[in-house]
Amino acid sequence: MEEYHSGDEVSFSPDEASNVVKECIEGIIGGVDYSQNKVNQWTASIVEHTLTQLVKQGKPFKYIVNCAVMQKSGAGLHTANSCYWDTTTDGSCTVRWENRTMYCVVSVFAVAIAL
Amino acid sequence: MDEDQSAEETTFVVEEITTVIKETVESTIGNNSYQHSKINQWTSNIVELSLSQLTKLGKPFKYIVTCIILQKNGAGLHTASSCFWDNSTDGSCTVRWENKTIYCIVSVFGLAI
Repeated sequence: MEEYHSGDEVSFSPDEASNVVKECIEGIIGGVDYSQNKVNQWTASIVEHTLTQLVKQGKPFKYIVNCAVMQKSGAGLHTANSCYWDTTTDGSCTVRWENRTMYCVVSVFAVAIAL
Repeated sequence: MDEDQSAEETTFVVEEITTVIKETVESTIGNNSYQHSKINQWTSNIVELSLSQLTKLGKPFKYIVTCIILQKNGAGLHTASSCFWDNSTDGSCTVRWENKTIYCIVSVFGLAI
């Protein structure tokens, strides 16, 4: 197996990021019902934990983590993203999660830092 | 004065971008009511138009534009963002817009190259 040399270009791995996000969400709102007074806390925790875990990976990226939590009440919700960046090194991943009373959508955007 | 000019070109200017986004949302949704069949088109339009207006500004930035459209029916919605970047050059702005039946939230993140 060849070792990675530090001179190689690193690109974003959406699968890895997806796993990090799923674990964070489960850990924070796993078995709970939507609660208006706690939702502030939840969204803040989800983005902070996810960001910390991503930064721990030590890759040369700037990150943006976005989280939306919505109560299940029949309303329609649509989200879209558009990005202007370097497609060879930058990337994003979006995780959709739900339980009985709420939807949670987390998007991670990673932009390579030119070293 | 010269120094000010070059600083303007390389920092994220919130007011300018907020104006661009508001115009884009107004022209795409305007007075329309929430319509399930058009919503896909609206969100795509908003992000694409916003992005092309932003790139026209000609600044050395990479951009990420996200748009959320939510029907007004009493549901609670909470969004949060966390960013790991260079505080001196990068920035973001969020525009909240609404009409009688729709909430629209657009966030722009600009990262200096």
